[in-house]
Amino acid sequence: MKPIDPRTKLLLGAAIIAGVLAAKSPVSLFSQLTLILSAIFLLKKAKPFFHVLKMVVPMIFFVFIISWLSFDSYNALMLSIRLFNLLISSFLIFQYIPPEELAGGLRKMKIPFGFVFLLTTAVRFVPLMQNKIRCIREAQMSRGIDLRLKVKNTKNFMALLGPLLVQSFILADELAVAMEVRGYGCKNRSFRKDYRLAFLDYAVMIVSVAILTIFIHWETGL
Amino acid sequence: MGACIQVNNAQYAYPGGRQALKGVDFTITKGEFLFVCGANGSGKSTIGYLLNGLIPHFFGGSFKGSVIVFGSDTRKMSISKLFPHVGLVLQNADAQLFNSSVEDELAFGLESLGLAPKHIEDRIVETAKMLDIEHLLKRPPDKLSGGEKRIAGIASILCIKPSVLILDEPYANLDQQGISKVSRSLKKIHASGLTIVLIEQRVDGYLKDASRCIVVEQGKIIFDGKPGNAQKILVSQGLIPKYPKRTPKNDFPTRTLYRNSEILLSVNQLYCDLNGKNILKNISFDIFKGQSVALLGKNGSGKTTLIKHLNGLYQPKQGKINFNGQCLIGKDPSQIAALVGISFQNPNDQFFQNRVEDELNTGLRMVRKDYQGWLEQICHLFQLQGLLRSSPFKLSEGEKKRVAIASILAMKPQLLILDEPTAGQDGRSKQMLAKILEKLSQEGLTTIVATHDLEFAQAVANRWIILDQGKIVKDGPPVSIG
Repeated sequence: MKPIDPRTKLLLGAAIIAGVLAAKSPVSLFSQLTLILSAIFLLKKAKPFFHVLKMVVPMIFFVFIISWLSFDSYNALMLSIRLFNLLISSFLIFQYIPPEELAGGLRKMKIPFGFVFLLTTAVRFVPLMQNKIRCIREAQMSRGIDLRLKVKNTKNFMALLGPLLVQSFILADELAVAMEVRGYGCKNRSFRKDYRLAFLDYAVMIVSVAILTIFIHWETGL
Repeated sequence: MGACIQVNNAQYAYPGGRQALKGVDFTITKGEFLFVCGANGSGKSTIGYLLNGLIPHFFGGSFKGSVIVFGSDTRKMSISKLFPHVGLVLQNADAQLFNSSVEDELAFGLESLGLAPKHIEDRIVETAKMLDIEHLLKRPPDKLSGGEKRIAGIASILCIKPSVLILDEPYANLDQQGISKVSRSLKKIHASGLTIVLIEQRVDGYLKDASRCIVVEQGKIIFDGKPGNAQKILVSQGLIPKYPKRTPKNDFPTRTLYRNSEILLSVNQLYCDLNGKNILKNISFDIFKGQSVALLGKNGSGKTTLIKHLNGLYQPKQGKINFNGQCLIGKDPSQIAALVGISFQNPNDQFFQNRVEDELNTGLRMVRKDYQGWLEQICHLFQLQGLLRSSPFKLSEGEKKRVAIASILAMKPQLLILDEPTAGQDGRSKQMLAKILEKLSQEGLTTIVATHDLEFAQAVANRWIILDQGKIVKDGPPVSIG
C-alpha cells in the first residue's frame, strides 16, 4: 500500500494541534493527555519521549509557577496540561514526518524551495550545533571558566556565546560554498520524489477535519 | 592526453586585500592524479576554488589571468554551468553534508542537473556501489564516522559524474583507518578514468598515489613534477616535519626509571558508560612526575573520553582518579583547571576575547593566580610576542594552536594534556609544537598527548599507552611497542 502523503500527515498534525488548543474543559484536557500518552506507548516511542521529557518538564514547571502566581492553582494546572499536550503531540507528529518528507510536502504546497531548504537544513544542523556547544563548553570549562548555572557565573557565559557565534558564521560561509558547488542556484531543478494524493489521503483528511469540527462544536458550542 | 584545465598567470586577492595567488601557471591533463601541497595559508585551497569558478564568481575579490576549463574561460561561465564538469569536495565534511540522509545528499546535485527521478535513483545506486556505501544511504550525516563522512562527501560530488574531481584536504582529522578508506576510494575513482586534484598538507605516505605533484608557497608554484622528485623540496619547506632528535637527558625510554619517582596521576579501574555504551573498561595506569606520555588509538577508541575524566568534565561510572594523592572524583573542572590543563582539538572552541593577550590572561584570572614573569616566558616559548594585540580569530591555524595551548599553560598546570594537537596543522607547525613540548618536558612538566599521529607521538613521548575499544591494550616505551 502507498504510504500516506506528507501533506496528509501535515494536515492531520494541524488538526491534532488545533484540537489540543481548542480543549477547555478538564475532561477534554485529561482525555487528550490519556490519548497522547497511550499513543506514545502503543507506538513504541517511549524512549525518545523520555528524552524529550527532560526538556519539557522544566518548561512546564516554569509556566505552572508563573501562572499560579498570576492566576490560581486551577488555571495554572489546566494551562500546564494544555502546554504539555501541545508539546508532546507536536513531538509525536514530527516523529512520523522525517525532514525530507516535510520538505516534499511543503514543496507540493507551493512553498518556495529556498524556504523549504532553509527549514530542512536547520533541522539537519541541530545535532551539529548541539555537538559544537558541548565542545565549546568543555573547552571553556577546561580553562577554569565556571559554567555551572549560578547567578555569579552569568558573565562567564560570554565564553560560550563568542566562539559559538564565530563558528556559526564560518559554518554558514562554508555551507554557502557547498551549496553552490552542487548547483543550488540551478533553475531547472527536478525532484527525486514526487508525491501524489491517493484515496486514503483524502479519506484521512476528511475524517480528521470532521472529527476536529465535531470536537470544536462540542467544546465551544460554535 | 588532452588538457582539461589550463591556468594562465592567475593572480588573486580576496576581498579585503589578502593576496592569495601571485601568478600561477599550470595545465591539468585528462586522467592525471595531481597532488597540490603547501603549508597553511600557502594558497592551495584558493587554487581549488579557481578551478571550478568559485573564483571569481562566488568569492569576488580581484582576479587577473585566466582559467580555461575544457576550452571555455571560467570568467564567461557561471558556477551552475561549471559544476557538472569540475566537482569540488570541501575540507569541512559537516558543511559538505547538508541534507538529512546520505541518499538525499547524493540526490541534491542530480536534482540541480534536472535529471528525471529514475535517473537519479540509478546514479545513487551506481555511486554507492562503486564506493561501497550502500549500507550508509539511509543514515543521517551525524551518525557517520569521520571517514564515512568524507566518503559520503566524495560520493555526493562523484554521482554528478564530473570529469575532474577536486578534493580539499580529504585526510584532515582522520585516523589511519579513515585515511586508508578514503585513499582506497580515490584510487578506485582514478582507475575509472577520472582526473583527480588532491589538495593536501599531509604529504607523508600519500604522495605516492599521485602521478604529479605541485608545491605551492606564498601564492606561487615552487615545484611542479614527479612526486618522487618532490621529497627534497618538501623537507626543505618543512612540509615533511623534521622532529627534534631526543637528547640523552630527555630520552628516558623505560617506565622502570620512574620506580623511585613520585606518582602524579593514578587512574584505577575506571569504567565509563555513555548513551548506554561501555566506552571505557577497566582502565588503570599511573603517570609519574615529568613523564611524557602519548595516548594512542584510532578514532572512537576512547582517548578523548579518558582525558575528559582527568579534569572532571566526565565522572566515571566506577573507579578512582587521584592527582598528587588527592581524589578528583566529584570535583568540577573549574576546581581542577589549575592542576590539569587540557587543550582540545579545535582552537576556535576556546577563543572569545578580542586580543591574544586577553586570551592568555583569561585562564589566569579564573584560577586567581598571578605568576610573576610566567606569561612572558610562555610568549617567548610559543613565539607569540608579535601577536599579543592581534585578534585570535585572524591568526593562521598554526598560530591559533599555539595560542590555545599557551592559554592553558598560562594557568601553570602540573599536568598538560593535548587532544589531537596535530589535527589541521602543517609540517612546520607540527615541528614547532614538538620542539615546544620537548622544552617543556626538559623543564620537568608532565604531558599527555592524545593523538593518532604516530610520528608525532614518537617525537614527543617516551611512553605510549594504546587504547582499543575502551581498553588499554599496550603500555610501555615506543621501542617495545614498535
